[in-house]
Amino acid sequence: MDEKINYDNEIVRKFVLATLLWGVVSLLIGVIIAFQMIFPEVNVHPWLSFGRLRPVHTNGIIFGFTGGAIFATIYYAVPRLLKTPMWSSALANVQFWMFNLTIVLAALSLMAGFTQSKEYAELEWPIDLLIVVWWVILAVNFIMTLKNRKEKHIYVAVWFLFSMIITIAVLYLVNNAAIPVSLTKSYSIYSGVIDANIHWWYGHNAVAFFLTTPLLAMMYYYLPKHTRLPIFSHRISIIHFWSLIFLYIWAGPHHLLYSPVPNWLQTVGMLFSLMLIAPSWGGMLNGFLTLTQAKEKLRTDATLKFILVSLTFYGMSTLEGPLMAIRDVNSLSHYTDWTIGHVHAGGLGWVHGICAASIYYLVPRLWNTNLHSEKLAETHFWVSTVGILLYVVSMWVSGVTEGLMWRAVDAAGNLQYPSWVEIVNELFPYRLVRALGGVLFLSGFIIMIVNVLKTIKTAGSGYKPVDLREGVKASA
Amino acid sequence: MTPWYEKLSKKVEDNAFKLGLWTTIAILVGGLIEIPPLFLQGSVKKIDNVKPYSALELAGRDVYQEEGCFYCHSQMIRPFKWETDRWDPTRSYGDTPYSKAGEYVYDHPFLWGSKRIGPDLAHEAALRGSDAWQVKHLIDPRETSPDSIMPAYPHLFESDNLVDPEGIQDRMNALKTIGVPYSEQEIQGAAAIVKGKTKGDALVAYLLKLGRDTKQK
Repeated sequence: MDEKINYDNEIVRKFVLATLLWGVVSLLIGVIIAFQMIFPEVNVHPWLSFGRLRPVHTNGIIFGFTGGAIFATIYYAVPRLLKTPMWSSALANVQFWMFNLTIVLAALSLMAGFTQSKEYAELEWPIDLLIVVWWVILAVNFIMTLKNRKEKHIYVAVWFLFSMIITIAVLYLVNNAAIPVSLTKSYSIYSGVIDANIHWWYGHNAVAFFLTTPLLAMMYYYLPKHTRLPIFSHRISIIHFWSLIFLYIWAGPHHLLYSPVPNWLQTVGMLFSLMLIAPSWGGMLNGFLTLTQAKEKLRTDATLKFILVSLTFYGMSTLEGPLMAIRDVNSLSHYTDWTIGHVHAGGLGWVHGICAASIYYLVPRLWNTNLHSEKLAETHFWVSTVGILLYVVSMWVSGVTEGLMWRAVDAAGNLQYPSWVEIVNELFPYRLVRALGGVLFLSGFIIMIVNVLKTIKTAGSGYKPVDLREGVKASA
Repeated sequence: MTPWYEKLSKKVEDNAFKLGLWTTIAILVGGLIEIPPLFLQGSVKKIDNVKPYSALELAGRDVYQEEGCFYCHSQMIRPFKWETDRWDPTRSYGDTPYSKAGEYVYDHPFLWGSKRIGPDLAHEAALRGSDAWQVKHLIDPRETSPDSIMPAYPHLFESDNLVDPEGIQDRMNALKTIGVPYSEQEIQGAAAIVKGKTKGDALVAYLLKLGRDTKQK
């Protein structure tokens, strides 16, 4: 069927390459800031100090790396699911270049210290406007393609992508409302507790609608395509889609427990966070149950392994998150490395896992050749998985350690560790292991890049689907 | 038998307009219930002593933002004894020495932070209220706090790294339009006040404003 419609693969190829580029740069910065936290001498220049580089890392990973993979998926999967090319190839290209310009400007301006100082919404207003322009371009292209579709049924992956396009627009416009002073400086129009509440409504749902729903769309597309088996349950996907998007929006205030934000708001945030376990696990189970239909391939297929580990981390983070949203747990975890561990279980485990699987699915098809080396993909899988475990486990230990040290009192009721530096010193080994985990993870990512580049060298040699099951030699 | 939600969903999932519409409704409800109530009068209890940032303090707050200090330092003390013991050991903030909504009414944006790599700074004025200590610490954190992992900021105190006197007036005017009660007089006098001050001086002024207005003794 695919051959009859003229799909634009060039734009997908470009987004895949951008994903790899922004991924490796942002991971490298992540490794640098991990070392800055144990060796302050690594802060070598004002533009490269921890406070400047941290937002480059987070924005680069969220918007550069993950964004690139999401847009590649939109331009690859949506036309195929709707059986029509994207409405406008030209607009897709405009969006591509504006997107990359945004990432470059973001990195430079953040290093120069131009920032709105709201996490994951740091970019100053001119860049915000640029983003609004290409987001509208993307939305128009997406909606017109939906309108022109030749396939009546809209598959669940498209719902998830649509929900991202709509929700990110709403969140972004409200949270970034600011009064400009100059090209490089503005002030949030909200203040104090109101600003905090609006910001975490945005921040939490950036996780929901940029790092979760489009990734679920990727799972719903690439997993059944790769295994050539249908998704386990359409019914689960209906229930978990609607409940997920409805419930997620409410969960923001769990970032503000025990803060001066009104108590009722904190309680609502906590309750909805707990309810979120159900739709999150609905998605995870649907993925797992689809995966088990192809379990004989799991031992030998790196793409499926990435999806398996990704879903495992998705399930784990979406249970851990709600637990951390319970007041008593939060009193221990908030402000500690535990939060960082939680974020990276989601980021390195879930987000990267699905993205890597997508890249391994896309590259051979896009460049019409076979993957240079399944073995290297396998190596990437193991190196990154060990890296993630070192990272996440060390941050758990570090976070719980510092949380307990902050609250420890002696027999007389006095703080047992009044010296902050004493606590910091205690965390040194864990933070060292975290940095090493990051190095491993980065190495895995570089292995993927090498593999992709070597694959591209053989572009056009003809893609043949390979059955990776043990003992199966002939191609299916 | 097809369950009701599947019948409902069938109507939506084959119709792009309805899909978009219901998605929009679903994602708006939570925000509409959680956000507007905070704008109601009286939802944020004012504290009379809390004053806007002076010109130099505001310039310092901008430096604090530029350097990303909030990625490592929180400015929000939670109502736990172990937190109030740590950040108000001398009981300078009365019987409830944790953070209150009224302390932040002039904070555009809020700078509570989400991670304590370093200690909380909400009560900095009471805890380390000396200019000299703050300057020394910013120039070389390890001189005042051996083993500290904080980056050093000597460049903020270089004589050519100055606060922009005209810029600060624009900034105060912008804040005034969104409700910070600066008088014309304050704004007029701002340039002269910050003239010749380094970014480091401004940052120290800001740090010493943190917790100063609510300090009781």
